[in-house]
Amino acid sequence: PGEEYVSRRGPGPRPPLILCDPQKESLRMEKESRPSWEQPAQFVLACVSYAVGLGNVWRFPYLCQMHGGGGFLIPYLIMLVLEGVPLFYMELAVGQKMRLGSIGAWSAISPYLGGVGIASVVASIYLCLYYNVINAWSFWYLFHSFQEVLPWAECPLNSNHTGYLDECRKATATQYFFYRETLNITSAISDGGGVHVGQALCLLLAWMVVYLCIIRGIASTGKVVYFTATFPYLVLFVYLIRGLTLHGALNGLKYMFTPKLEQLANPTTWINAATQIFYSLGLGFGSLIAFASYNHHNNNFERQAIAVSLINSSTSIFACIVTFSIYGFKATLNYESCLERVKLLLLNTFSLAEDTINVDNITYWITELNKTHPNQFADLLPKLESCDLEAELDTAVEGTGLAFIVYTEAIKNMPLPQLWSVLYFFMLLLLGLGSMLGNVTAVTTPLRDLRFVTHYLSNETTNGLVCLFCLVLGLGFTTRSGNYWLTMFNDYGATFALLLIVLIEIISVCYIYGLEQFAKDIEDMIGHRPNWYWKIVWAIVSPLIIIMLFIFYIINYIMGGTPTYQAWDKDLGQSVTTPYPPYAQAFIILLLVSSIICIPLSALYTYCNRQRPESTISV
Amino acid sequence: MFPRLHFAVCFTAVLGPTLVHTLCPEAVNSSSLIQSLFPGALLNAIMHIFSFRVSDVLVCNETQRVSFWFVVTDPENTSELISGKDVERAVRISRNRINNAFLLTDETLEFLNIPPTLAVPAESGTPPWLIVFGVVIGVVGVGIIALLISSFIQKRRKKGVTEGEEEDCEEEACDKGNGVSHPVEEGADGVNRGFVGDIPFTKL
Repeated sequence: PGEEYVSRRGPGPRPPLILCDPQKESLRMEKESRPSWEQPAQFVLACVSYAVGLGNVWRFPYLCQMHGGGGFLIPYLIMLVLEGVPLFYMELAVGQKMRLGSIGAWSAISPYLGGVGIASVVASIYLCLYYNVINAWSFWYLFHSFQEVLPWAECPLNSNHTGYLDECRKATATQYFFYRETLNITSAISDGGGVHVGQALCLLLAWMVVYLCIIRGIASTGKVVYFTATFPYLVLFVYLIRGLTLHGALNGLKYMFTPKLEQLANPTTWINAATQIFYSLGLGFGSLIAFASYNHHNNNFERQAIAVSLINSSTSIFACIVTFSIYGFKATLNYESCLERVKLLLLNTFSLAEDTINVDNITYWITELNKTHPNQFADLLPKLESCDLEAELDTAVEGTGLAFIVYTEAIKNMPLPQLWSVLYFFMLLLLGLGSMLGNVTAVTTPLRDLRFVTHYLSNETTNGLVCLFCLVLGLGFTTRSGNYWLTMFNDYGATFALLLIVLIEIISVCYIYGLEQFAKDIEDMIGHRPNWYWKIVWAIVSPLIIIMLFIFYIINYIMGGTPTYQAWDKDLGQSVTTPYPPYAQAFIILLLVSSIICIPLSALYTYCNRQRPESTISV
Repeated sequence: MFPRLHFAVCFTAVLGPTLVHTLCPEAVNSSSLIQSLFPGALLNAIMHIFSFRVSDVLVCNETQRVSFWFVVTDPENTSELISGKDVERAVRISRNRINNAFLLTDETLEFLNIPPTLAVPAESGTPPWLIVFGVVIGVVGVGIIALLISSFIQKRRKKGVTEGEEEDCEEEACDKGNGVSHPVEEGADGVNRGFVGDIPFTKL
């Protein structure tokens, strides 16, 4: 018997058992603790995959073309440094510090700001609804590429087989395929039309793929982003080589890189550069906060923020080079066919020998023939087309028109078009899917932060319900007039709300939460304070830029008069600018207001709650 | 009787102008590849359409640009010409044979006022896109179900382990110390009798 120390509990009521079973406790903690990325690389790739989306491919080249080619890079890079990187950095910092989705994070910054998170979630839901329809289109085109003759290469025949369908003749085969076969579009937004079954099936598939990628939350997402973030670069690289070796690509590149510096004096250029940076990085949706909330507390997000923003912008420029080679090829092709047609016309009309006229001396011949046979030439004049390479290059297209019409037109003329078509649409699909993962995570993360959701529903069920909800509502965009509604959502659903959300975010972080406190939190996480540059940009420069964008947007909306949309007229075979009917305009206002109204409503709700005398003490 | 018919055939192929010898009005006295090849080939291609014999195709007014008019004669009466409408119909029906005879296409051999009828593309039973779609959606569906089942099984397994542990402790009051739960002997007065046996041996 040694000297043992024994603690004796005296008589009395049985004390509560404070000691716990560590094994069971760790299991409970595991359930409650936040999931995290297996590797920091997964987080970076997720952000890259989210930020690099369809806008890099179809919006940036358009802006480049509209605002003076190479010269546009100057305002673009300036805005990246002044606005893009700092705001990106801020969102990652907030997410990583608060370790909650957007609603929880902003409620933690200030209890009155929970509405900012809710507004982000609403904007994300709007985006989820329509963005996946674009992925459905990519699927549709991808599946239609597995044919010997690409369906958009030729017009279908009319009923008595003597020629092509009228609508297809007046438009082009690619436009016909997009508007008639893919969308079966009606002539106005009021014309409902039924659901396009093919589109509905593709949308179902698109949502199933999204669900497969997020089924276990970031455990699944983290693995998928290795592929969705890297494969598009491979395709872009292959396309770069293909594009640069196409005949006439250099025309396009020369056109793009010749800077028209006088565009820099135009304020719209700077506004568009700022807007493009803003939306391209996907700020304000809550996706970045959601991704960052799964980070380890000491993850160095400063370097990652800079890296991802730079990668995003370089991808835009890279995609621009590819797009302009393709533009150059297509424009040169059209120009040369035009010249061929003129040559044929001249040869036939004046009965000249076959090889007298060729591409080089056609202008000489036109003047000659005008002199020698003035009467005949005068008769010919209405049929004579004027061929202009610059005019062909000047046709600037953006958005779905670029991706699904212009690109497909170029692809059908390449050798082995099926291969290029499959590669291209697979890339579009991955770009869109990567962005969708971020958008859906922005919705599911705040949901998973709610206690009762985590208690009653498993991860798989919550994600499944979100996907199902978005699928059912998204079917509305697969109706025949769905494209018009999609454009409306795209133009008004999130654009205005995001500006306001990010403005409130940056102001609340700097002035309500306090810049000093924020800097201290960052030091706590990554070991050093953000230097003076970040502080100045956060406090002064970025808010000013956003306020400027905000004012410009409001002025544009008010001065623009009745909002209009491009309706496809099948008799003319082209798009016609049509004003929105009154109920559609009311819906636009509803869209604009519905997300941002959450901010004051939520603040009011919190205020009322706090005023009540029996309010519980919030810990 | 039968009205004189006029066709213009415009070649965009490369055939240089040479002499042509015809029976036609406004004849140009030249013979060429056209004059030697065209009549025979055209005749072969279209003569099965006519219920009567046709003997000759005469080429007239050939221009530098390899375009010309031609007429088709009745064999019995060589100065009579076959009706324009009949020849038009014949050309329309056997257009493919005519093209093949000259190794030309609809774009390079044009008969004025006879628009070519276009070939209907081959229609397959199931649209090919549906097949690819079916494969992809099948794979994705299988993937989803597999993941759901595996997480369901994992949860079952985890729940089984924790349930097993809880069962040990539920019946009696457990002292959960050191990760091992063992039942505590308690008397009515609440004194821990687990160490009763050790008490005589302890010295305070």
